[in-house]
Amino acid sequence: MPEKNESVWAKSIPVKEQLHVIWTLIKMAKPFRAMFIWALSIGAAFALLQAAAPRVISYYMTNYLHQTTSVPLQITISFAVLVAVIRILQAITDALNAYYFSVAGEYALEDIRVRVFKKLHTLGMRFFDQVPAGSLVTRVNNDTASLADFWRFFMELTFAVMSMIGAYIGMWTVDVKATLLMLVVVPFIVASIIAYQRFSSSLFRHMRERLSALNAKIAESITGIDVIQEFYQEDRFKKEFSRINGEYFNARFKMVKADALLLEPMIDMLLGGATVLILWYFGELSMHTVVAAGVIYAFTTYLNNIFGPLENIMSLFSPFQEGLVSGYRILGILADETYSPAQNTNAQGDITDGKIEFKHVNFSYDGQHQILKDLTFTANPGETIALVGHTGSGKSSTINTLMRFYEFQSGEILIDGQDIRDVSMKNLRQKMGLVLQEPFMFFGDVASNIRMYDDSISDARVREAAEFVGANTFIEKLDNQYRAKVQEGGSGFSAGEKQLISFARTIVQDPKILILDEATANVDTETETLIQKSLKKMRENRTTIAIAHRLSTIKDANLILVLDEGRVVERGTHESLLAQRGRYYDLYRLQGANDAIVE
Amino acid sequence: MSIFSKLMWFFKANKRLYILGLSFLLLTEISQMVSPALIGRFTDILVAREVTSQNLLIYGGGILLFSILMYGFRYAWITHIFQGSALLERTLRQQLFDHYMQMDTTFYQRRRTGDLMAHATNDLSAIQRVASGGVLMLVDSIVIIIFTVISMAFVVDWRLTLIGVLPLPLLAWGVRYLSPKIRRAFTASQEAFSRLSNKSQESIAGIKAIKTLGQEQQDVASFTSEVQNTIAINKKVARIDSMFGPMATLVMTISYVVMVTYGGSLVTNQTITIGQLVSFSTYLGLLVWPMFGLGQLFNVLERGNASYMRVQEILAEKSAIIEDESGRETLAHGDVTINIDEFKYPDDETTTALSDVHLTVKAGETLGLVGRVGAGKTTLIKLLLRQFDDYQGNITVGGFDIKQYKLKAYLKAIGYVAQENFLFSTTVLDNIRFADLTKTREEVEAAAKKAAFHDDVLGFPAGYETEVGEHGVSLSGGQKQRLAIARALIVDPEILILDDALSAVDARTEKQILGALKAERQDKTTIIAAHRISSVMNADEIIVFDDGQIKERGTHAELLALNGWYAHMYAQQQLATQLDEQLSAKEENNA
Repeated sequence: MPEKNESVWAKSIPVKEQLHVIWTLIKMAKPFRAMFIWALSIGAAFALLQAAAPRVISYYMTNYLHQTTSVPLQITISFAVLVAVIRILQAITDALNAYYFSVAGEYALEDIRVRVFKKLHTLGMRFFDQVPAGSLVTRVNNDTASLADFWRFFMELTFAVMSMIGAYIGMWTVDVKATLLMLVVVPFIVASIIAYQRFSSSLFRHMRERLSALNAKIAESITGIDVIQEFYQEDRFKKEFSRINGEYFNARFKMVKADALLLEPMIDMLLGGATVLILWYFGELSMHTVVAAGVIYAFTTYLNNIFGPLENIMSLFSPFQEGLVSGYRILGILADETYSPAQNTNAQGDITDGKIEFKHVNFSYDGQHQILKDLTFTANPGETIALVGHTGSGKSSTINTLMRFYEFQSGEILIDGQDIRDVSMKNLRQKMGLVLQEPFMFFGDVASNIRMYDDSISDARVREAAEFVGANTFIEKLDNQYRAKVQEGGSGFSAGEKQLISFARTIVQDPKILILDEATANVDTETETLIQKSLKKMRENRTTIAIAHRLSTIKDANLILVLDEGRVVERGTHESLLAQRGRYYDLYRLQGANDAIVE
Repeated sequence: MSIFSKLMWFFKANKRLYILGLSFLLLTEISQMVSPALIGRFTDILVAREVTSQNLLIYGGGILLFSILMYGFRYAWITHIFQGSALLERTLRQQLFDHYMQMDTTFYQRRRTGDLMAHATNDLSAIQRVASGGVLMLVDSIVIIIFTVISMAFVVDWRLTLIGVLPLPLLAWGVRYLSPKIRRAFTASQEAFSRLSNKSQESIAGIKAIKTLGQEQQDVASFTSEVQNTIAINKKVARIDSMFGPMATLVMTISYVVMVTYGGSLVTNQTITIGQLVSFSTYLGLLVWPMFGLGQLFNVLERGNASYMRVQEILAEKSAIIEDESGRETLAHGDVTINIDEFKYPDDETTTALSDVHLTVKAGETLGLVGRVGAGKTTLIKLLLRQFDDYQGNITVGGFDIKQYKLKAYLKAIGYVAQENFLFSTTVLDNIRFADLTKTREEVEAAAKKAAFHDDVLGFPAGYETEVGEHGVSLSGGQKQRLAIARALIVDPEILILDDALSAVDARTEKQILGALKAERQDKTTIIAAHRISSVMNADEIIVFDDGQIKERGTHAELLALNGWYAHMYAQQQLATQLDEQLSAKEENNA
């Protein structure tokens, strides 16, 4: 997936912030502490075993192989068996360490993934209206996935450190002085790690940034191909792409050079230097005392054990950095406080009749521009209240506050006489059915799109609901009928069909209150008639708040509110509004002329 | 292996890079053989207590010198070989991109954006690995194995070498055995990942629906169970993945046992020295990576090959639109005549999309197209835009068949605006002058004014410099349509096609735009397809499509008199339009 994250990759995160991210991520892995510790303990055992085998061979060389007499077969066999056993144990611990560490990392990662997902569901519509959906999907999936590299880095790091400690212990048992001498390599190792980290991190960031730009360019060009071809801009795009492609190549080649300069070749050279140092030391020593071949063998092998894992951790720096950036973004989401409006504690209220009262409600999205001003109206059980007005007049905001998508600032919204905040959220959602302007289809089948997650709804009830809204006619024509597959976004279904399925979804819950955000979608006239018929039926015996774009649905409303800039400018029934000879009257004159033709 | 010969064109084109790279690789391997031999020899000297400051200098200096040389050689081969692979990726990516740019609508209908992206990313990196890792594994592994085994035999002892190295092919075999398993596990893991991705994508896109139903918890539960499933799959990956290292350890154990037993006995019977045994152990260590390399080689080549085939398959596809190189360079001014007997979409041979469509639009006139969804309006427009050339009949402009024009000349003369218009992630300015970046600010503003978009732009944070698209300000549907109209108008096209391009524009603005078009495009042809009758009612001729055929035709007045589908639609729509008009008029008065 082409992710656009120039902004994040363009600047580096301060060290203090990085440490905070690392620390927080480690703290979040607490539930899996036992597993991590278990993996680390096995890793420690592995490191010791890894140090043991050369020690045994070295001992064998020193004590038996320098003699000119042949070694007793029994001793040879015992040593061979000992080496074999140690190495088999080494293999077993290696496998277990790697396995448990990755599994622990996987658990920790998936745990964070679920946390992010859960967190999203606690956030309010304000959040979703502000943050693009695409970036949220990246947070939940790709960012959490790169945490795997974060954990792998720690695995390799602890393993490298343990290997090193194991090697030093092994050396210590062979020759203490030489071991102390070998400590001089440690500053070199640390220095090369720091040098690589410093050098590579900005190069890597630059490369990632170029890659994002490149992928974004490809994605944009594919999506916009029609326009590009229609305006015959192919050559311009090829040229632009060639530039971006070249920039990425350069960035990547710089990274290759940095790796070649400081990674494997450098570590190998350091190993060569250390080898010379140790040979020199023992060479000098041999001028005064006997030095066994086993000692040389042990030291050269241990040096390999020290330098070997180094390359691994260094090559994981870049992915680790990526993991850090991801972690940073994930923590950003987890710390977000744009929560859904909360109900009062102990909100136990029940919706029984469906009476809705707005009393002097004021609402603003940003605290500056007042959207609803002193909005007051009452919808008695079973009544239909219609909201009429231009875009931005406050119709949608009325629904947003009533649905508790957004919190209103002052005034009261009462349902069946109780504060809306005292109604339990569960009851509120069950008893208030909102029909969205753009119906959303979920992956699954037709039936699952009607019952959604509520498995207590039987197939029969699903069918009843579909019949009630008149969706059954087209559903029954589908292959597999109610089991017909629905793809993401409901492609394959027309706008009208989707609308009808979403009606059924609302009706199957049998809500007391119906909230209609009338669609402006382009549907055939035939489908439109079906939809209107179905809406009329749905409104029976239900309190309905309707946003209407077509006046024909408004006429029989019990109360019509004409909104303008968040205020009710006219209110009344169809008849009383006509008598006012105001805005509604004008509208009606137009309508009258039309009804004659339509009916 | 065939992938290497398929990529030969690239290796040949970059001969220098690869010859140098491989030479340095060879030098690295040769140098690598020296130090174990020196260590072994020195150990013998040391054990024999014959160390002098002179041989200390020779051996120490020798190892140091070769370490430094190897550093240089390594740097050189890595930069050469990996530069080659990055270059290959860059070359192929450009080829693909260029190809994408000239493919036709059929191509884009058959292939999804995600797949096309995947070819340009995943497939290319798999191919790139052939040119880096693949070359390395093949050349490096074989060279190291040969050199090491020869060095072992010469420096140490050929019998010990033979027996000691014997188990190593087991490792290569084991890696070869595990590789497909890990690949399968990994594929499953990726599938699990995309299931999770789709699931969360859906939840986020459908957040309002979920909130409305109060099913947040159930949705989390459903996500969690998908996560559990993913964990199980990833555990399997971890299980296989954790076996590679231990396998090497186990196989090497056999060699070490041989070293201790047989090697030890060779030392005691004085066939080899103890120092040679030390060399032997270092050489053994050098053989681990080539065995891994050989084991994974086939995997890398197989995947690279499959990816290369996919990319080549894409590159081999030809656009169905054939450019007539000898075609006419400029569009002749004149009537548009459409004589289509029959057209079927290439991917649906059973349905006739258009039949018996015969009409003429005189230069400077406006044609209106109406009809329900799928009736044939857009299909006709697609033919006009030369997205499909394969139909019975012909379309002429200014007396010449449109296929006789050079595509570039033809499309340049046509301005097309769809219902949904893609905007690019750049400024409003550059989006409007998309067809020609040399247009001045004044020309852009003039076009925006005609499209009734100028006032909107002035309200944007940075005016014409405001970024739009994915990362800029989000425009309303109507604003997008008007920007797209401005984008089409700036080149003052000979033929302007609006395909339901006013659907999100309110009635008053629609009137304003249509008025501007009438005034500015007096001698130019305009074709308007719409759902809203008001968009076409002033056209010189209006065609009502149904089922790919012309059902009704005439002027607005004639069609009303006919009292058919058109008249019915008009009556129904008038209400909404007038209401909208009324409301906006009121708004205006109040303001």
